Amino acid sequence: MSKPTADWERVGDRFYRKTQLYTSVFDPDLELENYVVTGAPYSGAVALYRDEGKIYAYRGTQAAKFTIDIHSCAGKLIRQISWDKGRIKALGWSDDERLLVVTDDGTVRSYADLQGDFTPFSLGHGAEQHGVQGCKFWSTGFVALLGDNSIVAVTRYDEPRPQLLASAPAGEVMSWTVIPPEHTSSRSVEVLLAIGKTVYVIDAAECEDRGLEAGPFRHISVSPNGKFIALYTEDSKVWVISSDFQDRLSEYESKVKTPPKDLQWCGNNAVVLAWEDELHLIGPNGAASKFYYDSFMHLLPDIDGIRVLTGDTCDFLQKVPDPTEEVFRLGSTSPASVLLDALQQLEKKSPKADDDIQLIKANLDEAIDVCVSAAGQEYSIHWQKQLLKAASFGKSVLDLYNSDDFVHMTEALRVLNAVRFYEVGLPLSHDQYIRLTPERLMQRLVNRKEYLLALKVSEYLHLPVDRIYVHWARQKVRSSSTDEDGICREIIRKLDGKRGISFEEIARAAFDEGRGKLATELLEHEPRAGKQVPLLLSVGEESIALDKAIESGDTDLVFYVLLNLKKKIPLSSFFRTINTRPVATAIVESSAIDQDRELLKDLYYQDDRRIDGSNLLLSEALAAPDMTAATDKLKMAAKLLRDSKEFAPQVAALEDAQKLLRFQEVFEKDLTERFVGLSVNETMSKLIKMGNMKRAQKVQTEFKVPDKTYWWVRLRALVSRRDWRELEELSKGRKSPIGWEPFYNEILGAGNTKIASLYIPKCTTLTVGERIEMWVKCGMVTKAGEEALKAKDRGALEELRKQASGNAQLDIDRMIAQLQKGR
Amino acid sequence: MATRQALQAINTQDITDKSRRDLLLLLEAVRGKKNLVIERPLASIIGLFVKFSTLQEYGVDKLFFLENHNVDSSQRNIVFLVRGENVKIVRTVAEQIRLVRSESKIDHDFTVIWVPRRTLVSNLILKEHGVLGEANITDLALQFVPLEPDVLSLELEDCFSDLILRRDPTPIFAAARALMLLQKQYGLFPRILGKGDNAKKLADLLQRMRSEEDVNASSDPNNTYLTSFALTPSATIENLIIIDREVDFPTALATQLTYEGLLDEVFGVSHNQTEVDSSILGGAPAPQPQSHTGGSTAPAAAATKRKVQLDSSDKLYPEIRDANFATIGPLLNRTAKRLQTDQQNIHKADQSISDLKSFVSKLPSYQAESASLKTHTSLAEEITKLTQSGPFRRTLEIEQNLLIGSEGSTTHEQLEELLARATPLPTVLRLLCLESTLSNGLRPRDFEHFKRLLLQAYGYQHLGTLARLERMGLFVAREANRGYLNPISGSAGQTATDWNFVRSRLQLWVDEVEEAEPRDIAFVFSGYAPLSVRLVQAVLQKGYLLNLVNPPRAGAAGAAVGTGANGSGWKGFEDVLARIKGATVDVVQKGSDADASQARKTLRGNKEGPKTSLVFFLGGVTFAEVAALRLVGRQLEAAGRGRKLIIGTTGVISGGRAVDVAIEKGVFGA
Repeated sequence: MSKPTADWERVGDRFYRKTQLYTSVFDPDLELENYVVTGAPYSGAVALYRDEGKIYAYRGTQAAKFTIDIHSCAGKLIRQISWDKGRIKALGWSDDERLLVVTDDGTVRSYADLQGDFTPFSLGHGAEQHGVQGCKFWSTGFVALLGDNSIVAVTRYDEPRPQLLASAPAGEVMSWTVIPPEHTSSRSVEVLLAIGKTVYVIDAAECEDRGLEAGPFRHISVSPNGKFIALYTEDSKVWVISSDFQDRLSEYESKVKTPPKDLQWCGNNAVVLAWEDELHLIGPNGAASKFYYDSFMHLLPDIDGIRVLTGDTCDFLQKVPDPTEEVFRLGSTSPASVLLDALQQLEKKSPKADDDIQLIKANLDEAIDVCVSAAGQEYSIHWQKQLLKAASFGKSVLDLYNSDDFVHMTEALRVLNAVRFYEVGLPLSHDQYIRLTPERLMQRLVNRKEYLLALKVSEYLHLPVDRIYVHWARQKVRSSSTDEDGICREIIRKLDGKRGISFEEIARAAFDEGRGKLATELLEHEPRAGKQVPLLLSVGEESIALDKAIESGDTDLVFYVLLNLKKKIPLSSFFRTINTRPVATAIVESSAIDQDRELLKDLYYQDDRRIDGSNLLLSEALAAPDMTAATDKLKMAAKLLRDSKEFAPQVAALEDAQKLLRFQEVFEKDLTERFVGLSVNETMSKLIKMGNMKRAQKVQTEFKVPDKTYWWVRLRALVSRRDWRELEELSKGRKSPIGWEPFYNEILGAGNTKIASLYIPKCTTLTVGERIEMWVKCGMVTKAGEEALKAKDRGALEELRKQASGNAQLDIDRMIAQLQKGR
Repeated sequence: MATRQALQAINTQDITDKSRRDLLLLLEAVRGKKNLVIERPLASIIGLFVKFSTLQEYGVDKLFFLENHNVDSSQRNIVFLVRGENVKIVRTVAEQIRLVRSESKIDHDFTVIWVPRRTLVSNLILKEHGVLGEANITDLALQFVPLEPDVLSLELEDCFSDLILRRDPTPIFAAARALMLLQKQYGLFPRILGKGDNAKKLADLLQRMRSEEDVNASSDPNNTYLTSFALTPSATIENLIIIDREVDFPTALATQLTYEGLLDEVFGVSHNQTEVDSSILGGAPAPQPQSHTGGSTAPAAAATKRKVQLDSSDKLYPEIRDANFATIGPLLNRTAKRLQTDQQNIHKADQSISDLKSFVSKLPSYQAESASLKTHTSLAEEITKLTQSGPFRRTLEIEQNLLIGSEGSTTHEQLEELLARATPLPTVLRLLCLESTLSNGLRPRDFEHFKRLLLQAYGYQHLGTLARLERMGLFVAREANRGYLNPISGSAGQTATDWNFVRSRLQLWVDEVEEAEPRDIAFVFSGYAPLSVRLVQAVLQKGYLLNLVNPPRAGAAGAAVGTGANGSGWKGFEDVLARIKGATVDVVQKGSDADASQARKTLRGNKEGPKTSLVFFLGGVTFAEVAALRLVGRQLEAAGRGRKLIIGTTGVISGGRAVDVAIEKGVFGA
């Protein structure tokens, strides 16, 4: 077994290691120098396309077909996309392994999950005229540089919205890069453009000159954590500065005449310069180390290191992780290193093992922790095992140790080793695995159609498995050549009884393949009614879609289906569709009320809902500009109802309404006062107030206003007019349909006690006590006394006496005396 | 113990905090200064949990109301905060975006935040207007807004008209989503009880959403496995009781007699605020100039309205809000006396420095309290003016007669008189509707008679009003073959309520109401016990209710029922429920994963912990009902085991608002 330090390289005071991940990666005939190569983050897939600017050997016509090839890091071909749509200007990946292809006219195609079809969108903002110069990608978006130095940013792919950033100065862009939004203080993307001797920083709002003078800069690159910037100057120097352009951190002179073809970061503390087959690794303080390759190579930077891809090998270059260095560095006396030695002694059955343990007894738990972490950083299974064994040995000595980390690490390593296997080709480091998360790793496995592995790993890690099944089924629907029934049966058989399967997604895949019938069949198994709707609409099953939407209870969906439906089918069948579905009708009605009255009228007509139709006309009558129009509308409203007996009262009311309007128009003409808009009662009241008794009475008889109502209206109108004479006249009447008490109350309320008192004797239905009260309220205590006397109520008299004063008191005394005498 | 209870029950503060956080995050995502365009009703809802100054800290420069159509182009960023479920509003947004874009010279960045969610229809409309690609679209899942720690409201102001008039089930869906969110957080409601057809729809929807949730959770790529784990029966919530407003219209129509209820009746309360003429409150600050200028006092001052905040941040208000208005005088008096003695204490000369210090530290709260006392005294005075007026007393008398169930021609005569005297239309309609709902419709002859009188008194435009009321089932003619008249038919109670039976069986009228020290919920209407709350009691206070109806002869019998009654749904009251219209809901929810439920139980400790009941009003709750439920809640808490009551609702309703939905606003020749 080779020593773990064999591929270490010292750069300054740090160690870097180059781990060979895979060999014989590509076909030996492939001329990698003629290709543009980009790799997805977290050791994801690698996309290749032939650089059109380079000449290549002619290999017959069929080879000339242009393709984008997607390989795993181990070289396995995952997908080939044939390309015939213009010149590719940039190729990039997002965090979730979405491939983006940008052509020079600003068209972007986004290929999700390595398998499916693409969704296109266009950059706009003048990309067609000026052409795309290049693009820089980050985890969730990218920025495109156009020919006129304008910059377009796309920050999300689910709903791309290309946004023009602040305009940059003119001039040739020597090199450029982006700082992803998550690393900037403004939380929006910043673009660094090296123009002339300086660098400009551009964001959505402004463009700022950083005032450097050492340019022009051939290369510019931002570290993965966004804190540092590496620049390569014309005079072959590498500068590392902080990303706020405040501190200059280190400088290195390459002493090579030809400028390097690439400059990238290796983790956050080293910069890699690459020529065709030579590589300089520059650590802090300008220390450097050189690596030489036999063939042309490409750099694929990642968060914690850099992958170096040649036609033959795939290497991973990274700083030796601290725990690894602690354990393995030559001459290390760290507790972890001693613990590893103890294990080796133990395996040799040497008593020195115990000596070692005793030596580090005090720091044993720390030693175990370091061994566990170091195991995670190892690619060699042998050393993973050794380190875990050492940790395990150490654990056995300790009484108390929390083994959670140990267990997690063993689990993680099992998964990592499985996915690093060359046929899978995901050479994740432990750090990348943690950052990527197991869930997204499952997604990547599924994208590579490694369903069995994904299932096994998910079960091992207790992750949900339904996504895997769904993906499998979608793939099945897309690629299977068996008949539709067969596919459906097989999918149902496999997925039956599994929890949380989204059949809608599978059905959508079927629909996208043009298998409409299969899609409908699969949809039947979807438990979420709401999800079925959009697809059913696309398949043309509108009325089923409507039913499902109603079932889901989501009115938004119902409305959505209805809007689609209305556009698609004739109005009459639209009404037929909705009138058996009350919810749909309700939604059409409530939305049409403020948007489309005609639709509502048609609906009521079609459904024979006459009252509603008539009320609609009534509200139109209210909105009518003049009386003739209003009357016409009312006539139409009445006409709608006329031929049915059950609506007779309604018709009568509508006719009365017209009649009232006619009356009011006459009154307005004769009396030059406003009447229209008043009700029958209000009209009468107004007439009485104006002294037009006759007219008021005419209204009463015409509209058959009940006597009681009329009397009330008259009473109140007279009182408000303070027409005491008329009121006095009325008190001489013999009968009132509303009794006389209201007269007393209303007049008293208006403050005329004299007239009010006229009505007290007429209130014969009231008790004596009440009448006494009434007299008192009018201030007529004597009258009250007489009332009491008549009723021979001595108590009341006594009571009144207390309230009375002056003459009244005498009167009361007299009455009391009279009452006593009477007895 | 108390803190533990608070921790385990539904924490409404969490909801507030989350809403605020979410909103601010969305605002922060728009870089730089921005103009915020907000829908007016939404603005006051947002105001419940975030201050304008906070919005400014997050870069909001100017605030516009969507309704005013006056968005200007002073900022590059324009953020719309609007409700996406309303088509009209979506259209307005689209039009305004188009307008600003065409008029302004700058290239604007539009952001639309839909509340509570982005809808398909909104996408469609924006697309039709050609602005879909122009705007950044996000949503803010604002559902329940806590009005008070024990009242969660969706604040859907149109929900009554949507549900009752238009039969548009949108509020049911909104309610289901909001309740679902609670279930995700606190676990499944172990039992869902309810009464009413819409309640049934809601319960069904909850069931359906639960089965859909399984799939949703798994197809959401950034979900965590724990979300599905949460769908096991809750250990803190005991049950959900859904009361469909349609089951109990009379309670909504009756005049509320609690202080808060009357505030709502007289001034209108929305989102914990009421607007009052400043002349009513302004007694203290400006009495001098008024007396000098005499009758022509500043018209400007009279026209201005002042907003009064009505919530538990005030020290005084929580004490008086739920009291019957008859007892408000003494209550205010007591507070006034206490404040007076406080003041005297302060003025006492012989004090040590430390005494003084403690008084000074109390001073701000003292001042706040006396200011609040002043406000509420003025408000109460204003209300008293009304309650002592003749029309109010007459209305109340009719109302109480109707609620007692005394039928007779006198009521009709009184009603005719009200009509003839041009009493405000809403008042009359409330009484007519009350009679109609309490007797399952008026006799056809009376019905037509009153319709005619009403049209003559208030105008023929109210044909529309009457049609709408009929459609809502508030004012209808009695059909000859209503279900309950024929007890043999199996569907008894499905279409109509047998009020006489229900009234006696649930004791909807209580003669002796102790308004000052209420023991029964009937205090909120001075005699009438709201059916809705009685239904809640039928679940939660079975023993109490049974004792009330049949005073126990031997104490043992009643007590036995009382103890064994918990957690048994409607048991004991099935006969009453069968005679009340609408479907009856009783669903027991079990976890899909038995192990997980078991684990949860063990984790929580299998002792009977504090339990919360959630009462949800579909179609709106009145303040009177809230007051009554608070009494029930207090009684439950007193009964021990830390039981709590939380009220959920789609919005706050009152009789005035209920009939206003139907009233035709148009006038001939206007």
